[in-house]
Amino acid sequence: MKDFAFFDAQCAIGAPILGNARGGETAAGLLAEMDRNGVDKALVAHANTEAAGAIFANENLLELIQADDVDNRLTGVWTILPAQCDELPPPDEFFARMAANRVGALNLFPVAHRWQACRLTIGRLMDAAAERRIPVFLGQRIMDGGWRGVFDFMREFPAATVIVNGVSLWGADRNIRPLLENFPGCHVELSEYWVPEGIADLARLYGAERLLYGSGYPRFGHGSTMLSIRHSGLPMEQVRQIASQNLERLLTQAQLV
Amino acid sequence: MKKAVWEQPGSLAEAFWKNGIADIPIYDMHGHMGSHNAIYFARCEAPEMVAHLRRIGVRRLVFSHHYSLMGSFRNQRVHAITARFPDILRMYVSISPHQTDFIAEDLDQYDSMAPLAIGFKFLPDYHKVKVTDPRYEPVLNFASERRLPILVHTWGGSQFDGPDVMQEVATRYPQVTFFMAHSFSGDLPGAKRVADACPNVYFELTSLPGQHTIIERLCADIGSHRLLFGTDMPWFDEYQHVGGILSADISEDDKHNILYRNIEKLLGKDW
Ligand SMILES: [Zn+2]
Repeated sequence: MKDFAFFDAQCAIGAPILGNARGGETAAGLLAEMDRNGVDKALVAHANTEAAGAIFANENLLELIQADDVDNRLTGVWTILPAQCDELPPPDEFFARMAANRVGALNLFPVAHRWQACRLTIGRLMDAAAERRIPVFLGQRIMDGGWRGVFDFMREFPAATVIVNGVSLWGADRNIRPLLENFPGCHVELSEYWVPEGIADLARLYGAERLLYGSGYPRFGHGSTMLSIRHSGLPMEQVRQIASQNLERLLTQAQLV
Repeated sequence: MKKAVWEQPGSLAEAFWKNGIADIPIYDMHGHMGSHNAIYFARCEAPEMVAHLRRIGVRRLVFSHHYSLMGSFRNQRVHAITARFPDILRMYVSISPHQTDFIAEDLDQYDSMAPLAIGFKFLPDYHKVKVTDPRYEPVLNFASERRLPILVHTWGGSQFDGPDVMQEVATRYPQVTFFMAHSFSGDLPGAKRVADACPNVYFELTSLPGQHTIIERLCADIGSHRLLFGTDMPWFDEYQHVGGILSADISEDDKHNILYRNIEKLLGKDW
């Protein structure tokens, strides 16, 4: 909306193996929902990465975005794999390709893709990503051991710039507060954080700059979290940070090349 | 970019977006209170909950206390809490089928809890007792005689409170108005089956607003005149859930129906 920008940190496009994308099979479907709700931009991953794999998803995501995103409102998220199999180029080249293709962040699916998320497998890539402040998505749903996996990963890569996503609808404060307290590079996207007055509480405790608007599309719609952020009770300056400015900052400060 | 849902002139969405409150009452028909084993709730006692409810203009929250549902905190104590905020709080008398003595006592004392108590709450999935079990019968008979509503936790696929078992009990007790909490989450065809078979059934929406296209499909398949708003407060933020209704791709009338019109038709405005 004109006086108030929203930048969605958490959404996905593409046809999932189990269906149910409900319009999110294409970038056009996502963009139409963004327009209907007044969302300006989105950071978008592939909805079928877990089942189809990183190689296909990274390529297909670009095709989907390029097919419909005429105004460059979408920024991609690419999936990483262990270094030893040479499935992806070395970090510098990989990051340069991200920059060339309007890809701004990374994610990983170690359980689905059957590898161990640790220094032995992705140490070189994660160290480089941390140094260049490239945001990496991390969530309890995709890590071995759930939240324990998230905690282990953060202990192994404490300097990483991380966006914790998919926190689950059962209030996750017992897990996200320790992460926010201990790791300054840790941020939380709010699509599944539905705690009454909770957004304001987190902002007061850890800073509004640690929180990001996310829709969770296509599982969730765009509007509900927009309203809970808009009326979180925080000063409008912090509301704007959460709605879009924090994600803009994370993507701008990332040094891909 | 064309005008967003929040910018439609004169709409509820525009009013809530601009002011955080609108010129309508909200009836939240599914609340709780008290701390929880698995979730940290910063605001789970009456004063903090009421402050949140007032901010968005909730006229009534009808709740069942976690401690009564999960343990041995008696409903009379819940009544005493409710009575501290009589302008906004109402209670369901919590029923555990494992505590038949409590049930007898609660029915015996029901008149002393009404009118702040407006009906009963069943939680069959948690108590692991089918809603057709004879232990619920005294409450069902009592509610039937007095035409009181019962909010029942329902879930798709559940043997305790799924569509089949709820259809059976709603058919057997046509005088009872059943509020199907969570609208058989995950089983929309099942919910539609129960809606078609049982006119005494309403569908409560806790945990659904915000899920992409679910409110649209409930309105299309069951009809917005059968839907009731609820949040599981203190689980879910009122703005998040109201936002899920307002941003759904449904008519303005549908939104009015869900947030207050249906429940006012059922229970009136003076309760
Ligand atoms: Zn509940």
